[in-house]
Amino acid sequence: MAIQAAPEQVQVATKPLLHVQGLTMSYGAGDSENKILNDLNLEVNDGEFVSIVGPSGVGKTTLLRCLSGLVQPRSGTVSVGGEIINGPHRDLAVVFQDYSRSLLPWMTTLENVAFPLQGRGVGKKERNETAEKNLAAVGLAGQGHKYPWEMSGGMQQRVAIARALAYNAKVLLMDEPFASVDAQTRFDLEDLVIDLQSSLGVTIILVTHDIDEALYLADKVIVLAEKPATVVDVIETGFGDHRDQVDTKADPRFVEARARILHRLRDH
Amino acid sequence: MKTSTKSLDWGLTTQRLLAVAALLAIWQVVIWSGTLPSMTPGVAALASSIGAALTSATFWSALAQTMTAAVSGWLIAVAAGTVLGLLIGSVRALDRSTSILIDFGRSFPVLALMPVVIMLLGATAKMETVVVALSCLWPVLVQTIYGARRMDSAVVDTVRIFQIPALLRFRRVLLPSATPFIATGIRISASIAILVAVGVEVLSQTPGIGRQITLAQQDQRWDSAFAYLFFAGLVGWSIASLLNFAEGRILKWNRQTND
Repeated sequence: MAIQAAPEQVQVATKPLLHVQGLTMSYGAGDSENKILNDLNLEVNDGEFVSIVGPSGVGKTTLLRCLSGLVQPRSGTVSVGGEIINGPHRDLAVVFQDYSRSLLPWMTTLENVAFPLQGRGVGKKERNETAEKNLAAVGLAGQGHKYPWEMSGGMQQRVAIARALAYNAKVLLMDEPFASVDAQTRFDLEDLVIDLQSSLGVTIILVTHDIDEALYLADKVIVLAEKPATVVDVIETGFGDHRDQVDTKADPRFVEARARILHRLRDH
Repeated sequence: MKTSTKSLDWGLTTQRLLAVAALLAIWQVVIWSGTLPSMTPGVAALASSIGAALTSATFWSALAQTMTAAVSGWLIAVAAGTVLGLLIGSVRALDRSTSILIDFGRSFPVLALMPVVIMLLGATAKMETVVVALSCLWPVLVQTIYGARRMDSAVVDTVRIFQIPALLRFRRVLLPSATPFIATGIRISASIAILVAVGVEVLSQTPGIGRQITLAQQDQRWDSAFAYLFFAGLVGWSIASLLNFAEGRILKWNRQTND
């Protein structure tokens, strides 16, 4: 189910798959109202890899929670495939930052990956096959019998990715997914996500505070800054499908884009 | 933790046996010194009365009576406490509205209820079971409510994102996440069950180990009183160890994540 070509994505790419219009979010009311997001507008095309970068505390996680339907914005809309999101949605899966808490410790890895399918009423045999296939896709073939706590942090995050893939949503939302693993594991996971994205054609929106990571992974980088947060820049990276941790990051376009983002963030 | 779950650790076992031996030695020295009343049995008298108890029918029937009342009261409390606790802990409105009642109930001295229950049921095994059940209910109930209430925010988000239906959420998420707390409640209440059962027997002369202790005391048979005391402790300790073992098996994931 997960490993499939997406030939139709080429012709539907004209209309954005995910559309954010005038998104405003705040907590509290009256004088104590704390505005987090201010009139955000985004478009993400089908099959696109978009990263949202911004300094810590700018409201990236709040934005992602609005996109995923976990919280309702004060005003504005999020829509997927033309349908307005007002709660968690079949077409949206999330990979959380805190993999160790979002995987259920009383379930094996396989059960964790199959669990969302069980929730959808998929039979045991079929959901286990799908889970097995997606575990293999993230490099964990035959590891389904292990419990999450028997695995390293990087492996646990692979399981979380497999679970989101098995859900087979159109859009994968990732909230700082590699923030709590070591540098080498982080590079491995970044390359894994790039490979999965190009082989499965899934649309990914990844939130990060790391400018290099945002540039390295994405087709399009959206820069958030100011308080309340607003889009201050959008950069098309244009690196194509083949990226390399050393060469891509030394590419003059990469260096230039990084400088541009740093300037943008400094000026705000 | 490693030493207790893997094979027997001889060094530790020796140390523990030495601790017991030291305690017995101190006991014997105190007896010899004459600071305790002369009727207090020494180690040898204690050992022989423990041996005598093991071969007496009175002891075994008393033990059976105490255990029956303690275990049935405890099981009733576990069943009622778990079901009620899961219900209260998972329904927000119920949790809020009952919190005063629960706090009052848990701090209520249940032994004080005994005269009332005796009035209703007489000094019977049934009365003993009811008092045990009422005493054991609170730890199970309070722990279960706490366990059901306390679901990790990351787990809550995950369950919402993947739109897990309510029944599956209860069975595969809420229940397992609450189990370590329920297990603690069950363990705490098991020791309370023995304590209350023996206490009720001492106070109300309901048949059982507690009554035997009082009878031995009235007959000036201090050695058998102490032997019964020893068995009351042994039973409580065995149950606690058994539950600990079961918990380690069933909740392996919990031990691991808390390491």
